[in-house]
Amino acid sequence: MTKKHLPLDELSGAIGRILGLLLTEEKVDHAVQSLSQAIKDSVPGAIGAGVSIFDPQGRATSTGSTDGIVEESDQLQYELGQGPCLTAWASEEPVLVEDAHTESRWPEWTAAVVALPVRSVVSAPLIASGHSIGAIKVYASRPSVFDSGTVSLMELFASPAATLLSHIQSSETPQRISEGLQTALYGRDLVNRACGVLMERHKITHEEALQRLLLQSRNTGTALQQVSEELIAGIPADRQ
Amino acid sequence: MGFDSNEPEQRRRLLAALESAGISTGTLWLRYFSIGGSVGEYEVEAYLQGMLSLPELERDLLAMAANELSSRGAGPRAPYADELPVDETPAQENPGLPDDGPASP
Repeated sequence: MTKKHLPLDELSGAIGRILGLLLTEEKVDHAVQSLSQAIKDSVPGAIGAGVSIFDPQGRATSTGSTDGIVEESDQLQYELGQGPCLTAWASEEPVLVEDAHTESRWPEWTAAVVALPVRSVVSAPLIASGHSIGAIKVYASRPSVFDSGTVSLMELFASPAATLLSHIQSSETPQRISEGLQTALYGRDLVNRACGVLMERHKITHEEALQRLLLQSRNTGTALQQVSEELIAGIPADRQ
Repeated sequence: MGFDSNEPEQRRRLLAALESAGISTGTLWLRYFSIGGSVGEYEVEAYLQGMLSLPELERDLLAMAANELSSRGAGPRAPYADELPVDETPAQENPGLPDDGPASP
């Protein structure tokens, strides 16, 4: 994950994106949303559930939640830099909060959520290929609603969810590349095909062919891709 | 391996064109790639910083990419290699000197 700037990574990311293999951000948001709902529906006593994906600096890059209370409680965690989900993510261990009112591990967060109906919390890390990429969490409005059984259930959810979510590129690179890449690949293909025509026609090398196209473009004030397009279309633009 | 005599000049003026038009290296590289350029983005970055020499064709493609990207702007153009005077003396980092020395009799 540290070599995110390898050109090969960028290219495979971009190609994956073009082929529709990588999840788009829209799909990710939809996925975390559905997952949140599934967790809430499956955990007895839950009033809300959520999914957070963090970047290596602990900033949430994608979040999903079933309701505003979860969202608010999560937002407080990100702002304060502390809370059960951040701990689950960072420690790569599930976290069980029996009662937020007596909890002492995250004093600022517990003080901040005192007005919210958030008393019981379970959060489990999302671990994919040995890396913690985020956390899922479930809330209840009364204390001691959750126990070790809830923790096990959440861990069961977390494992496949992490694997699926890890296929979402959190890096913006594939997105940036793919925006222009399709156009760029098309243009490059045009130029290379025009080079092929010239190579065949004049028995010259690829470099010489590209050189000719470049000169043609400069002399006629026509964009290189346009020159290539016309050449391929059979317009006799290369008559010198 | 050294630089072609006019390479530093071509690079310097390419940089000036990029700066004036506000074109990032990533944008430049993508356009350069789309017109058939064959070196990677990091090599282009290194070239722009004067740490890597590129063949004339690649330099001209970079110039063309920059010119295509800034075609609507009024800033300086990026020159092609054959537009630069052939300079036998080692390149000076002193571009402002006019070539006004009278020829010796």
